[in-house]
Amino acid sequence: MTRLAIAISQERCTGCQTCVNACKMENNVPMGMLWNRVITVGTDVMDGAVGSYPNLSKEYLPLACQHCENPACMAVCPVGATYKDEKGRVLINYDLCIGCRICMAACPYNARCFNWEEPVRDPDFNYGHRDVPVRPRGVTEKCTLCKERTDADLEPMCVVCCPTRARTYGDLDDPESEISKLIREKHAYQLLPERGTNPQVHYYK
Amino acid sequence: MQKASTKRMSLLIVCALLTATGVGVWIYQITQGLAITGMNNGSSWGLYIACFMFFVGLSAGGLIVASSASVFGVRDFKKVSRPAVLLSTVCIIAAAAFILIDLGGIQRVFNLIIHPNLTSPLMWDVIVISVYLLINLVYLVLLRKPDEQRSARALAITSRFALPVAILVHSVTAWIFGLEIAKAGWYSAIMAPLFVSSALDSGLALLLVVLVVLNAARLFETSRKLIASLAGLLAVFIAVDAFMVLSEIITMAYPGAPEEAFVLAELTRGTMAPWFWFQVIGGLVVPFLLLVFSRLREKTPVVVVASTLVVLGVFCKRIWLLLTSFIEFNVSGAPGLAFGRAERTATETWTLVGTYSPTWAELLITLGVLALAVLVYTLLAPRLFGTLPTHALHDDDSTERHARADVLLDGPQAAAGTQAEVG
Ligand code: SF4
Ligand code: SF4
Repeated sequence: MTRLAIAISQERCTGCQTCVNACKMENNVPMGMLWNRVITVGTDVMDGAVGSYPNLSKEYLPLACQHCENPACMAVCPVGATYKDEKGRVLINYDLCIGCRICMAACPYNARCFNWEEPVRDPDFNYGHRDVPVRPRGVTEKCTLCKERTDADLEPMCVVCCPTRARTYGDLDDPESEISKLIREKHAYQLLPERGTNPQVHYYK
Repeated sequence: MQKASTKRMSLLIVCALLTATGVGVWIYQITQGLAITGMNNGSSWGLYIACFMFFVGLSAGGLIVASSASVFGVRDFKKVSRPAVLLSTVCIIAAAAFILIDLGGIQRVFNLIIHPNLTSPLMWDVIVISVYLLINLVYLVLLRKPDEQRSARALAITSRFALPVAILVHSVTAWIFGLEIAKAGWYSAIMAPLFVSSALDSGLALLLVVLVVLNAARLFETSRKLIASLAGLLAVFIAVDAFMVLSEIITMAYPGAPEEAFVLAELTRGTMAPWFWFQVIGGLVVPFLLLVFSRLREKTPVVVVASTLVVLGVFCKRIWLLLTSFIEFNVSGAPGLAFGRAERTATETWTLVGTYSPTWAELLITLGVLALAVLVYTLLAPRLFGTLPTHALHDDDSTERHARADVLLDGPQAAAGTQAEVG
């Protein structure tokens, strides 16, 4: 078996948002939505600090679909449009999706976006990778772990573009992969483990 | 008489116009996408889903009262079977309409049939609501000739299916929310009992209002005594509903865990407070006090006021139950979530908390469905009860009232089938 995943170093992440834009370009994500966000934890201003001077701290959290092993979104999808593929990626079949959005309510990480309107792109053309399907109005979409790239044994675009190399991509089922080692050695953690979704995406400091 | 029919005609015309407007706006929504609604990536459900829950609930009252009358042999309540089951049918159709209206990809809706995923509570609901609608229709057909031996038997059997399915429909609808571990305000074992109890009180309350209106329109006669005794039952249902809400709130409040505390703060002092407090005071406390004293509930206007309050209260509850859980994101921080619309400015693109307010389009479509429900009821009501004996379903000890109803509605020949009851 294969369980593709990403491990992210919160120590390395500088909140530069490069992966956010890399993802948007690669995956042809329309205006007004993002598959991948980098949030500044615990504040309502970007790059803000938490605490009171001089005891301040600042933490960035890159956030996209966690490719959960037990995906809440998949169980609730009435038409089976959301599925987990043989490589452990959680994907959406856009031809099946009826746009009921129960998956958006079910995902604990707000990882999903909906095509509320006819997708708008600026500049006005499909800037994504040519193999990435163009999603119509009325379907849900989210991070695919760059399915088209990872199918071709390439790393996801966010991993390639991260200037601080905060992201490591690999197979959790291979104990000798770099990602498996990192997770073991750095005592990596998952987001919201209490929800039981068991994310494949891991974080460490 | 002339006046009554002009009134009815103008009601029909107004409803037809509103329905037509709603259909028009819905077609516009299909061409434009759900972007014309207030929903967004933060609050991904809104008025349509709140109304869906609301109407599923309203539909309960009718069928549960009618079928438990049959199952448990509560003779008195059987008298209202016909208006009750018609109400239940119309409400479940409205609920189904709201689900369809809410779909972003209505053109792919057939995937529900050709590609079902049976682990989805939404799929369960599609199945259970279809069965429920079918039972309602069978019930209605049987109620047309309840005095025949055969249909009385079939009626007794149908009612035994109707009652559990009615309860299941509300439970499954509750599980659409109650099984979402992502949302602190929803994920709770009490969700199904809570839905069933608010279905019982709002459904019975609506039935009472409808019965009074039918009385006034001389379409269907319900005695004051029966209204009062149904109102007494309503008081019990309100108390059960209040008990469920209390259990839920106290369980959330006591540990003081941050997520639950946030939900509670939003409810009691935040943006959802008006909805919450209206429900608690206007929808539970006041109507309960109005109905708990038998002298008061014998006054029909009091029953109407209390029932209307209950229906409005449960509507408010649907709103707060749905929206409160969208406000806080489990993983939050600046800049938040991308809202989901292209035309918004750079700063508006982001939202730190879930926000929602319905647009005109949503309100018009919702009003359209409401009008359609009234329209269908008004059209079918005289066909269903106008020409038929109202009391053929039961034998009645109060011969006096009985005789009056005979004269009023159908003449003495209708008394024939009174003993045809099974069960
Ligand atoms: S993060 Fe959300 S969308 Fe992604 S697999 Fe988990 S539950 Fe599904
Ligand atoms: S919106 Fe689409 S992917 Fe999500 S649950 Fe509904 S049908 Fe499935």
